[in-house]
Amino acid sequence: MPSTVQAGARALDTFPQYLLWNAERFSTRTAMRHKDHSIWKSWNWAELAAEIRAFSLGLRAIGLQSGDKVAIVGHNRPRLYWTFAAVQALGGVPVPVYADSVAEEMVYVLNHAGVRFAVCQDQEQVDKVLSMADELKDLHKIVYDEGRGLHDYNHNNLHSIDAIERAGREIFAREGDAAWKAGIAAGKGGDLAVMLYTSGTTGKPKGVMLSFDNLVISARNGNAFDNLSESDSVLSYLPLAWVGDHVFSYAQAYVGGYCVCCPESPETVDSDRREIAPSYFFAPPRVFENLLTAVMVRMEDAGPTKKRMFDYFMAHARRVGEPILNGETVGFFDRLKYRLGEFLVYGPLKNRMGFLRMRVGYTAGEAIGPEIFRFYRSLGLNLKQLYGQTEASVYISAQPDGEIRADTVGRPSPDVEIRIEENGEVLYRSPGVFVGYYKNEEATRETKTSDNWVHTGDAGFFDHEGHLRIIDRAKDVGKLNDGSLFAPKYIENKLKFFPNIKEAVAFGDGRDVCTVFLNIDLTAVGNWAERNNISYASYQELAQHPRVYAMMEEHVAQVNRDLASEDTMAGSQIARFLVLHKELDADDGELTRTQKVRRSFIAERYAPLIEALYDGSTEKYVETEVTFEDGRKGKIVATVEIREMERKPAAPAQKEAAE
Amino acid sequence: MNVHLQEDLSKHTLRADDGIAKGADLLKVENISLSFGGVKAITDISFDIKKGEIRAIIGPNGAGKTSMLNVINGFYFPQQGTITFRGEKRRRARASETARDGIARTFQNIALFKGMSTLDNIMTGRITLQKRSLLWHALWKGPAEREEIEHREAVERIIDFLEIEHIRKTPVGRLPYGLQKRVELGRALAADPALLLLDEPMAGMNLEEKADMSRFILDVNQQYGTTIALIEHDMGVVMDLSDRVVVLDYGKKIGDGTPDEVRNNPDVIDAYLGVPH
Repeated sequence: MPSTVQAGARALDTFPQYLLWNAERFSTRTAMRHKDHSIWKSWNWAELAAEIRAFSLGLRAIGLQSGDKVAIVGHNRPRLYWTFAAVQALGGVPVPVYADSVAEEMVYVLNHAGVRFAVCQDQEQVDKVLSMADELKDLHKIVYDEGRGLHDYNHNNLHSIDAIERAGREIFAREGDAAWKAGIAAGKGGDLAVMLYTSGTTGKPKGVMLSFDNLVISARNGNAFDNLSESDSVLSYLPLAWVGDHVFSYAQAYVGGYCVCCPESPETVDSDRREIAPSYFFAPPRVFENLLTAVMVRMEDAGPTKKRMFDYFMAHARRVGEPILNGETVGFFDRLKYRLGEFLVYGPLKNRMGFLRMRVGYTAGEAIGPEIFRFYRSLGLNLKQLYGQTEASVYISAQPDGEIRADTVGRPSPDVEIRIEENGEVLYRSPGVFVGYYKNEEATRETKTSDNWVHTGDAGFFDHEGHLRIIDRAKDVGKLNDGSLFAPKYIENKLKFFPNIKEAVAFGDGRDVCTVFLNIDLTAVGNWAERNNISYASYQELAQHPRVYAMMEEHVAQVNRDLASEDTMAGSQIARFLVLHKELDADDGELTRTQKVRRSFIAERYAPLIEALYDGSTEKYVETEVTFEDGRKGKIVATVEIREMERKPAAPAQKEAAE
Repeated sequence: MNVHLQEDLSKHTLRADDGIAKGADLLKVENISLSFGGVKAITDISFDIKKGEIRAIIGPNGAGKTSMLNVINGFYFPQQGTITFRGEKRRRARASETARDGIARTFQNIALFKGMSTLDNIMTGRITLQKRSLLWHALWKGPAEREEIEHREAVERIIDFLEIEHIRKTPVGRLPYGLQKRVELGRALAADPALLLLDEPMAGMNLEEKADMSRFILDVNQQYGTTIALIEHDMGVVMDLSDRVVVLDYGKKIGDGTPDEVRNNPDVIDAYLGVPH
């Protein structure tokens, strides 16, 4: 244990050290919950520490040594979270992997990391690892959580966590845990804590090495910034391999001592969240969009009284909800009416969505639609924006309470310095800055300067309030042939803010005009079709329906009007658009596993369609290969219509106050 | 340091061991004939189902497959022949009695309670196992409550097994067809059957749903050791899943054996390909 032991304000170096301390200071507080067979089971910190100790001692017995890399493959299950601390306690390095990646994607990561152990959730993941066992030369043992279907497998190098924990408990009964604890106490802040592979918008995934110092200091700052303490709770439902989940569901939870709740299965997250009502919640904008869409769709089907009540109080919330949340002065009667609305509409709605106890909520990863953002804030939910990266242990900038804007990502986080390069790229320096990319010196040098500044690859600027605004990836910002600025993501986000549009891809760099691909949102448009008696047999048919095209045309026209009013962006009004005949999908490589558009890949795959957008044709026949979930391939054929749009002349130049 | 890990690989069994060894006769039908008025549905059929196997009954439309299942579970009573289940000759029995004896089934066209949730539907499968009287259950305190909890635990294990947690509270009528089929399998499993009869478990399913269902059937057989008799038209599925196949045509048995034997049986080829006689 470090010598600077001070009751209450101890600064420890590693998570296993925090685990032991939490087992003392919060011994009876709930550390983890998991819904299993319809019942929430829980562990307090003392029980959690005992489980992890048994697991860790068992792992040591089957050969895990200091420095070993351990892959963690699966969804948010308690025992997979325990693996982090169990491995770190032995000086090993956990390497969480995206559970839904296919075997070929996984083999690269496991090989690159040189994992000696793989801890898998179930048969599906064990099969995946076994299928590539020949290529994994370093792999020593496979460990699994759920044994179903694995009964007849050869158990020479395959072990259940149950058996390992049993062995660990026997060892503990025989020899105690003095040596184990001594090993933990010897852990240092500079040691490698975890390797997180970035999902790879471009090229092969890179293994980001984060030290205990990176994560512990970031977690401590994060907890202080939002006043998170042992009385808070989160629902862990995002991929284990993603830095956000690692920090919110592991690092901050261990440092702050709050409770992490694991859902029953990935499909039950919505109802599980409602039962838990987490006080701290993190989600990409997509989750908030889907929730809002679901609410709106249900309200369309609600009875007239309910619908009128909803509309009336939502209008009121839009007017006074945000000012009340920000602590501004609001009249007495408006407050009274808001209270009534809380009782009749907002409260039940928040309960439905599982936000009843939410104290702090974050959205990050992509821009969120201003309407969506305002909707949640007007209900009295403290939803904020954050800008972060794996390489920064999440936090680069965040919005402090009371300074919330839909279009900024806030001020620099505690201990973070930010500077903007001449080409608009954002750079930062902080205690959370990663150690380097694993076995990739060159990429490390490209990203991190010798004095620890990290290139984010994003273009942005500080507005007059000192808030950072991100407009696009720095390398994606291009120019149209007339020299005006072209920021594709900026345009795509404007389009995606319409609930009917799920995805958009804009083209225009080095061309005369801007054009876009659109993807309809099947939930929203499908419901609209149902209400308007439009029948369709498939996604493809609905996407190509003339009335759907008319609807999309309206949306594009609205975006053009918006763009025309902003002098820097007026040049990139959309000249022509088409609605894609298939949904963009990560299985086809069109989206990343975190559901971000891979623009260059799409440009290559749909080259004939892009050509058609620029050669003046009004329709185009295409054949597209698709990959099913089991890896088989099929083909979709379609004739896609292309529409021409009217463009407004740019509004008379009004120079905004220069930043 | 190296230790030997004790893996707990014992299989779970649903029903208490009934003393019949794996591979011994669980059910035997001998010289069964069934007719409705002048129509002969089944003529002089004999075959057996051994404990722990997956037994398929195949045949063209109208061959008498479903009638055969109805005879086995006591819904029809044959004019001739005997049925021996677990070593006991069956007397004229009602379907509810055979259910209590440990024969559960699913139906060709789903027969669930559409307005009830998945959970409630599967709970109904436990009714034959209820020990307390209706009065106790109406009071719902004490022993009845404890019994209810036991049943609910069993049902939750099935829900977990079939991976249908997300639709636990959803009314069955709102579910897509493939999931309804899975719920129906769940209800049949809830009865803790010694013999599970599946009437076209994969009819009307797409490829992915079929793959899922096949996996569940195999898992039920392997994990719980449940004996399964199934009717199915998808030959690929039948040949992959089953240990032995019996082939019916026009109410008569024309083949019986392993998938390979049946595949090469000239009578079976005739019946399926429709060779002129």
